[in-house]
Amino acid sequence: MNGPERKSRLWWLSQFWEDLKASTDPGVLGVARFLGLLYGPIDRNLPIDQALRKMLRYRLATHVGWRHVFGGITYLLFIVLVVTGVLLSFYYRPSPQEAYPSIQYIVSEVPMGWLVRGLHVWSANLIVIAVLAHMARVFFAGAYKPPRETNWLVGLLLLFVVLGFGATGYLLPWDQWAYWTVTEVLDTASRVPVLSLGVYLLRGDVIVSGATLGRFFAWHVIVLPWIAFALIVFHFMLVRRHGIAPPEGTQSSAEGGMRFFPNHLLHAFIVGVWVLAVTFSAAALFPRPVGDPADPFLLPETIVSSWIVVDVSLALIRYLGVWGLSLFTLLGVILALLPLFDRSPEVRWRHRPVAMVIGLLFFGGFLIAWLAGSQLTSAQPSEQMPAGESSEQVVPESVPAESESPDPAPAESQGDSGEESNP
Amino acid sequence: MRLGVLLLVSAALLGPAREAAGLMRPAKTSGSPQQQQVRIDPEYSCVVCHTEKRRAFLLGVHSERGIRCHDCHGGDPTAFDREPAHSGVDFLGGLDKFDTVELCTACHSDPNQMRQYGLPVGQLAEFRTSRHGQLLLEQRDTNAPTCSDCHDSHTILPPNDARSNVYPTNIVRTCARCHQDAALMDGYGIPGNQVGEHRQSAHGVALFEEQNFAAPTCVDCHGSHAALPPQVVQIADVCGQCHVLVRRAFYEGPHGDAALAGTLPGCTACHSNHGTEEVPPDQIAATCANCHTADSPAALIGEEIQDGVVHATEDLRGAEEAIHEMVRAGRRVGDIEFRYETAHTAYLQVNQVQHNLNLDVLEELTRQVSSISRDIRGAEEVAAEHRWEHKLLLIPVWFLALSATVLAWFKYRGLEKGAR
Repeated sequence: MNGPERKSRLWWLSQFWEDLKASTDPGVLGVARFLGLLYGPIDRNLPIDQALRKMLRYRLATHVGWRHVFGGITYLLFIVLVVTGVLLSFYYRPSPQEAYPSIQYIVSEVPMGWLVRGLHVWSANLIVIAVLAHMARVFFAGAYKPPRETNWLVGLLLLFVVLGFGATGYLLPWDQWAYWTVTEVLDTASRVPVLSLGVYLLRGDVIVSGATLGRFFAWHVIVLPWIAFALIVFHFMLVRRHGIAPPEGTQSSAEGGMRFFPNHLLHAFIVGVWVLAVTFSAAALFPRPVGDPADPFLLPETIVSSWIVVDVSLALIRYLGVWGLSLFTLLGVILALLPLFDRSPEVRWRHRPVAMVIGLLFFGGFLIAWLAGSQLTSAQPSEQMPAGESSEQVVPESVPAESESPDPAPAESQGDSGEESNP
Repeated sequence: MRLGVLLLVSAALLGPAREAAGLMRPAKTSGSPQQQQVRIDPEYSCVVCHTEKRRAFLLGVHSERGIRCHDCHGGDPTAFDREPAHSGVDFLGGLDKFDTVELCTACHSDPNQMRQYGLPVGQLAEFRTSRHGQLLLEQRDTNAPTCSDCHDSHTILPPNDARSNVYPTNIVRTCARCHQDAALMDGYGIPGNQVGEHRQSAHGVALFEEQNFAAPTCVDCHGSHAALPPQVVQIADVCGQCHVLVRRAFYEGPHGDAALAGTLPGCTACHSNHGTEEVPPDQIAATCANCHTADSPAALIGEEIQDGVVHATEDLRGAEEAIHEMVRAGRRVGDIEFRYETAHTAYLQVNQVQHNLNLDVLEELTRQVSSISRDIRGAEEVAAEHRWEHKLLLIPVWFLALSATVLAWFKYRGLEKGAR
């Protein structure tokens, strides 16, 4: 009787652990696999602890290197966005009356609120860079080719989810910059015939209003997270199933590859620490400024953009118009459909000129539009806005005493004149 | 034709009735339904030949009141031949400037006819006192304008109609038709540059660029029917119609006495007449030096006023920038903006009371502006310091990041060596 008590006062804990191991199916490790935390197959014949050890002994393929780091960075930034987003949602209020003051409260009163918001804003920017880098690596390495074409499509859907997250989150601060940027982008999108109904449903009103804010908030925190979760799990499952694409002329082989534990995890740890440190630094050094509260009746003199994709969209809209935005989106659709047509096993870039040109157009165009868009600071009036007072007061030079039709020529809508005055 | 008669009758009867019932259409709109209803009976012979006059007349307000050509020009509108139509004892044909005054005032000086429209009836009396009236009616100088020169002869519209020649944004152009004609104005010793000066002035910018109809046009200072340049002793009162508090301060000080004595041309001494501008804060002493010799007590007062106003302006601007910074950093500034309003009110009072040259009052007000502005800037400095402290967080973050990297790297190298 005295034996076990002398051994440990916590004997029941080790007993519990043994029971747990004996009764738990190693298949639950699949959860960690789905979440991208473990690699390798699960040996279901072993008890769970031995199955875990076996998984940790997994070796990576020999051709896996630093260029494959961007997918992991994207996932880490996504986790940062989820955590900071949940923290922000404790204080944020999605209504036109309360949204702006709640942002003020978060950044000036809530302890570390400024940091949480800064991390959220900066992760949203860095995740776009990481996603595009990941996508470019897959594209130029020809890793989208069979049997991985489904995962390419899932990845592109995830890209749109990331863009959707950013676009819906952009309005939530409800300041002048957010309000008028969203107004301009929705106005432009509503000129594309296919998109106009979608824009109407998304906006929920004839102008960007409280109805829009509510819809954007719902998409941002309810709809998109579930879609993202499902797609990420599917993405990881397919990566596990097909492995990482080998470069030309080699076959996937685990012989001599890096050990998952601890070597690969140490690498991943270093990368993760640096990504977080860089995001922290950006948040501390360059906090997103707060604009004036949104006012549908007052066009701001300048617009400050705080998201890369906004820069790109505004550059396309201002310099190329609605067709620029449509054509660039079309280029994205072509990228999505590329694996359906480009099925040859050839992965050497010299032998894939068409794909290379399309890829360079997309990624180069994105880069150029980003640089051009970051120079834009003027605001564009809404089409939904009635022509201002100034155009009402346009009167003929002198009363046409000899003419029966005194109607002054219909004043040009503000939207048109604004477009002309912009470069 | 029956429709035309019906419309004519309804226009004649319903027009005034609707106006009396307060249902008058908004005057600014063009081509309103009611206006399109007004028609002249095709059997009315004048319009058979004078079609262009018919068009112009239909645009004006008199056509809506059942007034027709023969009411002013005489003649027989039932006759379709030229001779009989242009006959009769009352036939006038084209009206000269003197006939026009007589004809218009026949109705417009009659309170019983004007009461329903809320129009004044003193225009003729006012016109007789004006320079225009003196020239026209006493000296029979036909260069002087008559009613129709400003109000048009046929398209007569109320002053609140944007198409009217006497609408606030149009009246300057109406006066300019003669007053910008240097050759014509030479004969009367009037410079022809008032319109250009007014356009550039604070008043012109407010009126034409900011569409601020509270800003004065020609008639707000000179009068409309009684148009006359204000006398020297009247200038401060003319400006004081709008600048009420400045006027009071001006008469409290020594310059007010000088203006009443006729030795100082009121406000225009410092602010010009048609090219009215605010004196920039740093130009106050220089403006005083235009009349007062340097080192004179008056010039010293000017320098002290300039000093106070310049400092108050800078302090207030600093407070505005501080508030802007705080807004950008996401701070709630409701209470600070409330304090800013107090400082801003004191600053506006500085601009008024400097006109009585009382340095004690001025000093008290500038002290208020400076003290509140300093508080606001202090709040921003504290906030900026907090924001700067945020950056200190980077020291532990990077310390942890770098040490984690180094430790992980050594561990990795150890593993590699062990493997070999």
